[in-house]
Amino acid sequence: MRHERSLFARLARRISLVLGVGAALLVTAAWYYAETAANKAYDRLLVGAALQMAESLSVEDGILTARLPTSAFELLGLAERDRIFYRVIDTNGQTLTGYDDLQSPTPLDDVDNVPRVEEGIYKGEPVRIASATRVLADPAVSGEAYVIVAQTNEARSALTRELTLRATGLVFIMSLLAFAGAMLAIRYALQPVERLGAAVHRRDPHDLTPVSVDVPRELDPFVGSINHFMGRLNERVDLLQRFIADAAHQIRTPLTALSAQIDLLGADKLDKAGRQHYERVRERTGELARLTNQLLSHAMVIHRADSVQLEPISLVDVARRAYRAAIPITVDPDIVISFEAPDDRPFVLGDAVSLREAIVNVIDNALRHGAQHRLEVRVGASDTEAFVEVVDDGPGIPPEGWEKATQRFATSKSHEGSSGLGFAIALEVANAHGGTLSFRARDEKGFTVILTLPLYTGVVK
Amino acid sequence: MIVFSPRWILGLVFAFIFMASALAAEDNKTVFPAIESETGRLTIYSTTDLAAMKPLIEDFQKSSPGIAIDYLEYLTNELNSLASEACRKGEPLGDLLLSSSVDQLLKLANDGCAASHTSPETARVAGWANWRDEVFGFTYEPAVFVYNSRLVPPAEVPRTHVELADLLRERLDYYRGRVGTYDIRLSGIGYLLAFNDARQTNTVFGRLLESMARASAVARCCTGEIIEEVAKGNLYIGYNMLGSYAYEAALRHPHLRIVVPRDYTLVLSRGALIPRGAKEADLGALFLDYLLSERGQSVARSSAFYFTETGGLPPDVDGPQNLKESGIAQPIRIGPALLAVQDRAQRQRFIEDWSQSLIELNSPAWTRE
Amino acid sequence: MRILLVEDTRDVGEAICKRFEATGHAVDWETNGRDAAEIIDFTEYALIILDVMLPGMNGFEILKHIRKSGNAVPVLVLTARSEIDDRVGALDLGADDYLVKPFDFRELEARARVLMRRHTGGEATNLIKCGDIAVDRAARSVHVGKREVQLKRRELTLLEVLVARPGRVFSKDELLDQIFGFDEAANTNAIELYIGRLRKKIEGAKARIVTVRGLGYQLVSDDAP
Repeated sequence: MRHERSLFARLARRISLVLGVGAALLVTAAWYYAETAANKAYDRLLVGAALQMAESLSVEDGILTARLPTSAFELLGLAERDRIFYRVIDTNGQTLTGYDDLQSPTPLDDVDNVPRVEEGIYKGEPVRIASATRVLADPAVSGEAYVIVAQTNEARSALTRELTLRATGLVFIMSLLAFAGAMLAIRYALQPVERLGAAVHRRDPHDLTPVSVDVPRELDPFVGSINHFMGRLNERVDLLQRFIADAAHQIRTPLTALSAQIDLLGADKLDKAGRQHYERVRERTGELARLTNQLLSHAMVIHRADSVQLEPISLVDVARRAYRAAIPITVDPDIVISFEAPDDRPFVLGDAVSLREAIVNVIDNALRHGAQHRLEVRVGASDTEAFVEVVDDGPGIPPEGWEKATQRFATSKSHEGSSGLGFAIALEVANAHGGTLSFRARDEKGFTVILTLPLYTGVVK
Repeated sequence: MIVFSPRWILGLVFAFIFMASALAAEDNKTVFPAIESETGRLTIYSTTDLAAMKPLIEDFQKSSPGIAIDYLEYLTNELNSLASEACRKGEPLGDLLLSSSVDQLLKLANDGCAASHTSPETARVAGWANWRDEVFGFTYEPAVFVYNSRLVPPAEVPRTHVELADLLRERLDYYRGRVGTYDIRLSGIGYLLAFNDARQTNTVFGRLLESMARASAVARCCTGEIIEEVAKGNLYIGYNMLGSYAYEAALRHPHLRIVVPRDYTLVLSRGALIPRGAKEADLGALFLDYLLSERGQSVARSSAFYFTETGGLPPDVDGPQNLKESGIAQPIRIGPALLAVQDRAQRQRFIEDWSQSLIELNSPAWTRE
Repeated sequence: MRILLVEDTRDVGEAICKRFEATGHAVDWETNGRDAAEIIDFTEYALIILDVMLPGMNGFEILKHIRKSGNAVPVLVLTARSEIDDRVGALDLGADDYLVKPFDFRELEARARVLMRRHTGGEATNLIKCGDIAVDRAARSVHVGKREVQLKRRELTLLEVLVARPGRVFSKDELLDQIFGFDEAANTNAIELYIGRLRKKIEGAKARIVTVRGLGYQLVSDDAP
């Protein structure tokens, strides 16, 4: 499965993308406005200077005279580093003073549009050019005189740069703030998801009731799906439980009926050969019954391992019940069977039903395949573990067969009708309880099967 | 009566240029050979008297012994014409231009004839004395009154522009033909100072001009001439003299006294400019940095220009303790306003007015020489 | 003795009836739970054998009904249900014993007999001891030290007799009467067999069964002076 990037990362990425694009647009806009503002500001100076110069034109003794005011230059000098070019043109179109080659980009007689400011190039440098007109109505000199003033763009560019830089700084800070805010908001907004996740994760695996965590409306469908799924899972589990129960009943009842019929049949009325067949039918029926029990038992412990909550239980009590259930009253009276338990009752965290089933199967196995004269069931505990030992004086299982013994239907005595499920059930239960199923090789006392479980050290109610 | 038409003035200027060019080869060039083996040759075009520059150049060579310096001296207008012409042709004039007519340097810079230079030394220059990092003011020279103490009684020593005007009016006969000032037709500095006087206080300047005209004031091309005549006693009072020259002369002539006017004092800063495309622009910059440096300023104070922006007036100068702090100093800002000074129509107009006021009323004085 | 069998599977019911009638018991066989519950209310039984899955009323409900009405009749529950959902076991509901189907009919008969005797026997006291042998007559369990030893019915009876009077010598005939009663044919060889088994089963105890040649047997505690 491809691991999807986290929602947080995705949102963060998109938001930063949007913020980045937004910031770029804003900076561009800021640059545009800064340039416009700088131009406006300095154009005013330029036009002001041009108008002042135009204003300074006068006719003295019949001659057009320009006394360019210093203030006009000082005005332009406010743009400290910019070079200034100017030209005053008299009514005849002759240069009165200034730079002879300075031209207005548009014809000067376009009187509708003065004073005006235009872009231009002078002496190889980009300049802003302002033009102003002075209408003279002196008898000696009449007509239109013009003033052209040009200024390089250094101060404008500097102002544009500075404004843009500052705006960029602001945009950057705002973007950062927005980003940080968005991240916080996303974190906050995603908290319910984490909370929901934690709640589901924390949940007991056997708890299939609907999840009840307060989540925002947007998560309702999600929670709904989880709950719907849990509901279905619950139904399935119920169904499975019912099926096992039903199957148990459905198989057991006819089996019981079958053995009942065999019992009714009786061996007394049969001849020798008939009695032999009768005994074999009886044995096989018993075997079938046992196999059925083990199969169901196996299915049951597996099911319970997944679905039953473990609780502290006394291993002695469980083992004693198993002992009572496993030893039939009709057992061979020549076998000495005993049960031994310590005074301090060791507790384990477990499922009593499964554990009993495990112990029953171990004892049953010993009874059927092991014990000739003696069978001992012992419960004990060390500092960390509690155990149930089943000792019999039978031939036992040689060490090389131990591993196989716990596999299903694997037994060296299959022809004798062993289902071989006994140890498999016990092992299953041991594993589900975090314990082990082990063997101790035959010694003078006999062969031992040990079910070991971790000791429960908590408080017992 | 002589009419000063623009054409006449132009002719005069060209005559000077011609003369200057003729002189250039021989008279006005001084070579300072490198102290050690020559690694570079710096050519300086200047309007400053060699005497003033010599200590600076020699001190500079101590710190840069491998540099030989050709020092060419011109009048301000000559230098301006040469430099403009050179710039137009794209053949830079020398590696460093020094001129007391900063308005001309500013015009050159405005026309794109200057190279920009920034260094830690240029960063120390006051804002009013730096334009575009192209034109730098490297001196601080008040325009002062000089007088001969044997001829001007102490009670009559004028200490403001108004006092001078009044004195000339009151003692018209005594001072007739005994007051000297620049001929602004010939002297760029004279024009610059007069223009700024007119800007400063039009009425006072008008009165002063009128008084001087009545007193048949003498106009001379150069500071030196007037000062020498005052020292000799031919003239009693010199007006708008550059403080540095005046002080240098006063050191030699005990009767020559200096007054820093107390109503306002124009302060001129000599300009320096590195021509665009100068062959040895690096050396020009090096020398410029030297002029602006602590060391160069200190040499200038002690043996070249005597006045500095910071610090008090030199001894025996009649004036406020500290020119800058007294608030009467009016530095001529190196900035675009000087373009107005340089405007040719303006100049023509102003000189015409000035000539009418001062010379035509008094043509005998003008023609007397 | 009178036994009530509640079992709806015909084959099973028939076989159980046959087996108990063969050993001289009277068996009432009901197939419907509700009918059975009614009969229990006014009939006294020595034992009720109860199937769990029944029409009308299931075995657990009947069991609850019996115990609620204060009836202490021994109940043996037959169940075909797996214990997946039988969180409350038959024993918790008051059953005296239970067997999971399919079961061995001999085992059913043996357990039924134990239950009936326990009920009618009425031995009041409960714990008798000799050495470290403890016999709980009520629980019908034997402890040798901490070890609980599984004894057959007759072995237990024999041990009870011996433990009740430690030191006393019982003759074989005496023991024969105590253990088998008068209705069962048995000879003194059987006593020797049981004594042998019993000795094996209490091996390691701090009391011994001593044979007093010609007289019989006595139980001697190691603690006794």
